[in-house]
Amino acid sequence: MSLDINKVIADMLAAIKGTVVDKHEKVESIAKQFLIQNKETLLLIAELRISGELDDEDFKSRMEDQKLVLEAQFNALQVISKAIAQQAANAAIDVLEKAIITVVKGVL
Amino acid sequence: MKKQLTRYLPIILFCLVLLAINGCRITFVPAYDTQVATQIDETAKTVDKFYLSMLETTTVEDSTRSYALFMDQYVSIEAELNSLFIKNKIRPLNQNSTRICEITLQLWQKYKEEHKKKNKLSNGLIKLNQKTFSDLFYAMQVAESGKKIIDNPPK
Repeated sequence: MSLDINKVIADMLAAIKGTVVDKHEKVESIAKQFLIQNKETLLLIAELRISGELDDEDFKSRMEDQKLVLEAQFNALQVISKAIAQQAANAAIDVLEKAIITVVKGVL
Repeated sequence: MKKQLTRYLPIILFCLVLLAINGCRITFVPAYDTQVATQIDETAKTVDKFYLSMLETTTVEDSTRSYALFMDQYVSIEAELNSLFIKNKIRPLNQNSTRICEITLQLWQKYKEEHKKKNKLSNGLIKLNQKTFSDLFYAMQVAESGKKIIDNPPK
């Protein structure tokens, strides 16, 4: 029994695709939620600047803080991306592992 | 690009075969930690309650909102954030969650110092601080719950 490498690669790609497609909506909905949150915060900062509760210096400082919040959100999205990549890679390895085991059993 | 891929394909396959034979697993993120997730949730609630009570029970016009009256709560919350930061930092492959905690701690200390220095906090600033931390804790929760993905295979 020989290893049909083309079929194995096709199966590995299907496993990767299945994992990524399955999680795509989750990433998109979280990214949208982050955008909504940032919009609300920026509106609040603008209102406070207009009302005078924030002076020029404080306004600039709060905008800098908002960059940090954005950085935190990107870090959160990175965790999800890494987790999806990990799951996809391991799904592909599982396919390969099963194919090798089948060939080895056939030889023995 | 295609030529390069063809050139490296045998090497990539060889590496994957080795990993498969050894039953190895690729790891980019640590496993989900229920204890950390619970602590994030509890700290988020404490911070939210801290700002909500400040807004409801005190006013900027009198001394009920002076820093001294909130110092203990500031310190207690900072200790919780420190604890979360350390718990995240010691977990391998956890740089992203650690950075989110570091940013949260940094802004907590900054806003605490602002309150201390001015000894007052307007209603608008309380709302803004509350919103900022709510967004940061949400990011923290997203990062922690995102680690559950590795335990849930695709259907």
